[in-house]
Amino acid sequence: MTDYFEVLSRDGAARIGELRLAEPLSTPALVDDVLVDAGSLWAEDREVPDGDPAALTVLPHRAFPAGTRDEIKRSFAVEHPDLDTPTAAVVASDAASDAGTDAYVLSDAPGFVGHAAAFKDAIIAAKESLPADAALALSGVATPANVATLVYAGVDLVDAKKAKVKGTQGKYLTSEGEYFLEDLEDLPCACPACRTPREEFTREDCVEHNVDALRAELALVRERIRAGRLRDYIEGQARHDAWLTAAFREFDGQYGYLEERTPVIRDSRLLAASEDALRRVEIQRFAERVTTRYRNRFDNPLVLVPCSAKKPYSESQSHGQYHDAIQWRAHQVSMTSPIGVVPQELELTYPAQHYDSVVTGRWSGDETEFVAEVLRRYLRRNEYSRVVAHVPPHGYRDICERVEAAVDVPFEYTVEDHPTTAESLSNLRDALSGELKYSKREREHNTVRAIADYQFGPGAGDAIFDDIRTTGRYPKLQVRDDAGTQLAAMVPQYGVLSFTLDGARRWVESDAPTKRVEIDGFVPHGSVLAPGVVGADDDIRPGDEVVVEGPTAFAVGRAAMSGPEMVESTRGVASEVRHVEET
Amino acid sequence: MSEPSPEVYERGRGMDAHNKVMREIRAQKEKRYDPHEPTRVWIDEDNTPDGVYQSLTIILNTGGCRWARAGGCTMCGYVAESVEGGSVSHEALSDQIEVCLDHEEENADEESGLIKIYTSGSFLDEREVPAETRRAVAETFADRDRIVVESLPDFVSREKLADFTGVGLETDVAVGLETATDRVRRDCVNKYFDFEDFVAASEEADAAGAGIKAYLLMKPPFLSEPEAVEDMKRSIRRCAEYAHTVSMNPCNVQRYTMVDELHFRGGYRPPWLWSVAEVLRDTADVDAIVVSDPVGHGSDRGPHNCGECDDRVQTAIKDFDLRQDPTVFEQVSCDCEATWRVVMDEETSYGMPLAR
Repeated sequence: MTDYFEVLSRDGAARIGELRLAEPLSTPALVDDVLVDAGSLWAEDREVPDGDPAALTVLPHRAFPAGTRDEIKRSFAVEHPDLDTPTAAVVASDAASDAGTDAYVLSDAPGFVGHAAAFKDAIIAAKESLPADAALALSGVATPANVATLVYAGVDLVDAKKAKVKGTQGKYLTSEGEYFLEDLEDLPCACPACRTPREEFTREDCVEHNVDALRAELALVRERIRAGRLRDYIEGQARHDAWLTAAFREFDGQYGYLEERTPVIRDSRLLAASEDALRRVEIQRFAERVTTRYRNRFDNPLVLVPCSAKKPYSESQSHGQYHDAIQWRAHQVSMTSPIGVVPQELELTYPAQHYDSVVTGRWSGDETEFVAEVLRRYLRRNEYSRVVAHVPPHGYRDICERVEAAVDVPFEYTVEDHPTTAESLSNLRDALSGELKYSKREREHNTVRAIADYQFGPGAGDAIFDDIRTTGRYPKLQVRDDAGTQLAAMVPQYGVLSFTLDGARRWVESDAPTKRVEIDGFVPHGSVLAPGVVGADDDIRPGDEVVVEGPTAFAVGRAAMSGPEMVESTRGVASEVRHVEET
Repeated sequence: MSEPSPEVYERGRGMDAHNKVMREIRAQKEKRYDPHEPTRVWIDEDNTPDGVYQSLTIILNTGGCRWARAGGCTMCGYVAESVEGGSVSHEALSDQIEVCLDHEEENADEESGLIKIYTSGSFLDEREVPAETRRAVAETFADRDRIVVESLPDFVSREKLADFTGVGLETDVAVGLETATDRVRRDCVNKYFDFEDFVAASEEADAAGAGIKAYLLMKPPFLSEPEAVEDMKRSIRRCAEYAHTVSMNPCNVQRYTMVDELHFRGGYRPPWLWSVAEVLRDTADVDAIVVSDPVGHGSDRGPHNCGECDDRVQTAIKDFDLRQDPTVFEQVSCDCEATWRVVMDEETSYGMPLAR
């Protein structure tokens, strides 16, 4: 049972938490000052400690260092006493189990930190065996350079021991690596220790600086998590060290681990400035949903256009020009790296309006392959009478030509040099002459249905919204039934739908897959806390629209954690509740 | 709370596990040895209660330690240095002694006053060294001043020791006590006897007019650096009551051992030489000769500091061995002492090694 640690927010596997000591500690953080070690049982017999509300007590332990065989771990496993104060248990990453403590220290960390595959294996093994809402601690390993990656992988608590050791060795640590103090002409930091003149700067000062640098890096990491932007930072920062780059790539290979923990919506920017962005959960998930859940409902031809730097695309100058030429006579789909393809109905849907990428016109092999594959899958699922590729030569055009060879419908190309030249736009206009316009009503209905497909699953748009009216002005659309009762609203900043109680009931009654949280006999207001959750669907992700049901309540809201985490957790907000009624 | 689980010691689960693992590790070793050759022999200098002697040290190949065949100590790789079949005849052992005498004649100007015989087992265990051989060895070295024979405490009896004291040799039994803390000896080293067995052996030796030389092991697996140092300080003080000489030796990483596996995976670091110096300095006041003979000093697999100062600190330790003067350690210093101090202040067994 986790009593003194609470996860407040999540960014993938990284979390902002609170260690509820007499003086609460915001995590990820250093615990040097608040940790009390009750001692090793290898060295001597220990009394059950009294515990201290102001400290995290490490219960008496038999730590198994890296390389300890399983038989030894089994034979020397210890019982953990239950205290009424904050406690941590020492466990080996591959032999961890619930000890009822608030935190768990992985005893083999010095063996696996520094080795990407071993690090990934250890963290995932530990996370799978330990309660989702407990804090994960690593001792004697954190540095300013590696701590962002440790946290990214799911570590909550670290200490400054390693940074101190490095200081005594004359190693000056920064967030991008380490320097031999004697080689430094300047001190690239402005912490109090580094205000000492260079020639007077000693190894003791270096210890102080290293701890300051680690503390500062942790503060930055916390801010990045709060902003939902740790991954963008990791992709840049981890590149200063080969093992760190390898480590986050190893985790990219563990899609399931990261996907479960990655929110489906964010209102923050997503910067795709490296090839690794292609393997991000948000990117992969968008491409997967567009090619397996979304379905085009327009009868018009398809016009493929290049993306714009400005988001949403429709607010950009170039897309304004395409629109003037198309005039609702075609279904507009934007091609983009690294997202793949974005149908016009989903241009607001996370991360389509949130990403920013580096545009040079130079496409890498991986980018080309990724976008081509998404477009290929998109066109196999969605039939069009015609495909007009209004895309610039090179890059975009190469992709179109590759895909054209693999699908039945022929492509018509309307751009000579650049898509916004008068000639190109005129070609586009001419290509669509004779095609009929679709109505505003059709456009709006198709938009909310497309979002429903994307959000809830294949066919959901038709299953939930078969006979509807839309009111309001795009993008603030409201979905109503025949009688005018509101069912849902489109949320412009995420491009998703949020249900009313009537809408939620329709969702539950429809054939569309629902996501349900089962609660005890109470009526939740504002939010549902994890201890009140009796059951939750496995596929619930943070940010998902969920129905909350119990013996006495029916509610709808947005999940704050994954389904498995709701079930395992004993603390924290499981779901926000938007509307509730007593039943 | 005190025990890993209430049944562990009653059922010997911890020891069973250690033994099972050690047997598996040892099974990987295939090397065999000639029963007519000693495992090793060398000439050195040693501090004894009667002063410094030239010594002839013999590691007899007796078929190896019986305990090691069951699994044995977590750090000990000598075990595998045994002969096929497991026992060595009186004739073969006599051949080994001959080889050692030849070695001495070739490598030393005079006969050594001190003879030290180790077997990586128990010289006093008659299943390992027949009584006939023991008496022959006593006879062979009767003209020397002192003799040290290695044995586990169980095999120490006044009758066996009388073979040596009876021919006028000042006799010492070298006992691998490893630590005075039963818990550490059992759970970290995987040695089966208790401190009280050591005390009993010392009483037997005393009755025969012989003495005890206790061997301690600094930093078995699973202990942090400060825990290991504390364990040694306590152990030296406790066993000095029963032994006139204590040889406190830092653990080194031997092939085909549990320590080797931990070290390979990054879960073990041999002790710092500063730790050895600290223990010797701290216990210099005890009423016993305390020495240390770090093996493989300065290497990754042996006790080491930073690489810069290892030879200097080793020299100070060897100097202390002969003179028992703690001020020798004031003569050596290095920047890495600051690192060692952080390790002593901050290292725990759930975050080690803190520094390489």
